[in-house]
Amino acid sequence: MHKVKRPGQWRAFLSMTYYALRAQTRNPATFAFGFIFPVVFITVFGLIGNTPQNYTIGIPNTSVSNNPITKTLTGQSFIRVEQGSREYLEGQLRVGKIASIISVSRSSQNPPRYSVSLVTTRANPQQSAAVTTIISSVVDKANLALSAVKNPPITLSQQEVAGRQFRYIDFVLPGMIGFSLLSTAIFGVIFGFVFLKKALVFKRMFATPTKPLTILLSQGASRLIIVLVQTLLILVIGVLAFKFYLPQGLITFLEILFLSAFGLAALMGFVLLIAGFAQDENCASPLANLVTLPQFLLSGVFFPTDSFPKWVQPIANNLPLSYFNLAVRKITTEGGTLADTWPYLLGLAAWGIVMYLLAAKTFKWE
Amino acid sequence: MAKKATNKEKKNIIEVNNLIKKFGDFTAVNDISFHVQEGEIFGILGPNGAGKTTTLETIETLQKPTSGTILVDGIDAKRHPDDIKQRIGVQLQSTSFYPELKLTELLKMFAAMYDTEVNPTEMLEKVQLGDKAGSFVNKLSGGQKQRFSIATTLVNKPIVIFLDEPTTGLDPQARLNLWQMIREINNTGVTIVLTTHYMEEAEQLCDRLAIMDSGKIVATGTPRELIENLLKTGFKKEIVRKDASLEDVFLHLTGKELRDA
Repeated sequence: MHKVKRPGQWRAFLSMTYYALRAQTRNPATFAFGFIFPVVFITVFGLIGNTPQNYTIGIPNTSVSNNPITKTLTGQSFIRVEQGSREYLEGQLRVGKIASIISVSRSSQNPPRYSVSLVTTRANPQQSAAVTTIISSVVDKANLALSAVKNPPITLSQQEVAGRQFRYIDFVLPGMIGFSLLSTAIFGVIFGFVFLKKALVFKRMFATPTKPLTILLSQGASRLIIVLVQTLLILVIGVLAFKFYLPQGLITFLEILFLSAFGLAALMGFVLLIAGFAQDENCASPLANLVTLPQFLLSGVFFPTDSFPKWVQPIANNLPLSYFNLAVRKITTEGGTLADTWPYLLGLAAWGIVMYLLAAKTFKWE
Repeated sequence: MAKKATNKEKKNIIEVNNLIKKFGDFTAVNDISFHVQEGEIFGILGPNGAGKTTTLETIETLQKPTSGTILVDGIDAKRHPDDIKQRIGVQLQSTSFYPELKLTELLKMFAAMYDTEVNPTEMLEKVQLGDKAGSFVNKLSGGQKQRFSIATTLVNKPIVIFLDEPTTGLDPQARLNLWQMIREINNTGVTIVLTTHYMEEAEQLCDRLAIMDSGKIVATGTPRELIENLLKTGFKKEIVRKDASLEDVFLHLTGKELRDA
């Protein structure tokens, strides 16, 4: 004989989402992890990526100044020249500050003969190799010109295919979105959740007719909004300040937002597993680091997973954050469509489902 | 104080029968039965660990009973927990609110959780926190926190409110002030169930009491009845006459009256 008006869940959901969001925006940790860190990172990496590759060569004071070799070399925009005594330059060479020392001497014959001596080091093997190639090609060309060879037996023709210049920002920005997504999800949500649990905030909510699922969904929705704003912020700074490339403009932009929402939904599995299991911050902290650290290092946030040894790659390529990074790079740097990302979305979903199932078994509200 | 102590016509708003609550091997509540009458202030008195909080939380439907039945306003707690939640107000032992939300925001959120709306300023004025509308819970004093916590129990116009050790840790003024507030709420027709381990509180504030120990209810009745029952057994309080107190020692040594710090 008790007919009461069943309370609707909708008003509760909207209100709790709004106030959870309100609470988060007043929380300095959310602000730091969610907004300040990504902006600082993206600015730093954006600036790194803008510096073109340079080679520094040393020319000792004893080298003759007026000769066709150094003249051609110093005319190149990517060559920087450092002058000084031979001892000084050798010191610089040994510590890898300059790629090689090039010294030219001239005989007193007429026409003069030149001899070029090149000193390289193992301190900086890639730069040395590159500079050696550049210098020998300059020497070869100069030889041909001076020997008056008009018609060499081998000719080289070069053709450039239209393409975008690959810049580091185009690689690192998708990684930064993933990185921020994971840190917000793990550090922001887990610690927030464990606190609310410990402070009996959730328990007090259960004393109302609002359903636990509504409470959980409103928590999820408020975090989702934070993550989308964060992705938006990174993208806007990337596009405006560092000319991050969006192959299809607004469509790619929206696709990245979709991927972020999808990624968060999958990562929430980890979050619920840890937050539901951990009784306090001390317990949550090592678990959170266990999940995040390997992913920050291995999932291709800052450099491609190809650079890892062969045996690490199967691990590195199958982490949830790797799937996210690969999916975003598929539609940005690789210019693919959202449909092309399905293997990665499948991988993310698989992780998510496993984690949600585990969380459902171990989750405790208290 | 004895305004309705002997009113037998009141209906039972809460009926607990043979309630058992176990956590694993541990029996927190061991086969208790009692009832609470409509409109009274009912106290559960007992030492720490007696099972007071578990009893309260089981009636509040925050915990599921291992066995036994609980009826709140005639509604079965096992079958319709949400209908019970809709009609009761709950204060937990510790302040259990978002630290980043203002008092008015918290009240609005709680109202939405009952699918209703409130005037937060009016509610805060009712508990003498009208000037704290923009404050955060952590900035309140102990007594203010408890008053706010009670305000949140009232957003859904409940017929019963449950207060778990509402005055623990409060100074004497704050305690008296809270008693006054609890009586005022009670006078508007709201039944009140509270737990305490303060004898004075049980005697002064509660219309009826259940005394709990080790998961059992060892006695129920009005404070007067309980005292009379004890006296009937021939109990005599041991009266100790002290020839001097520590204060006398102190004054003798320092030669000064204790002053209000």
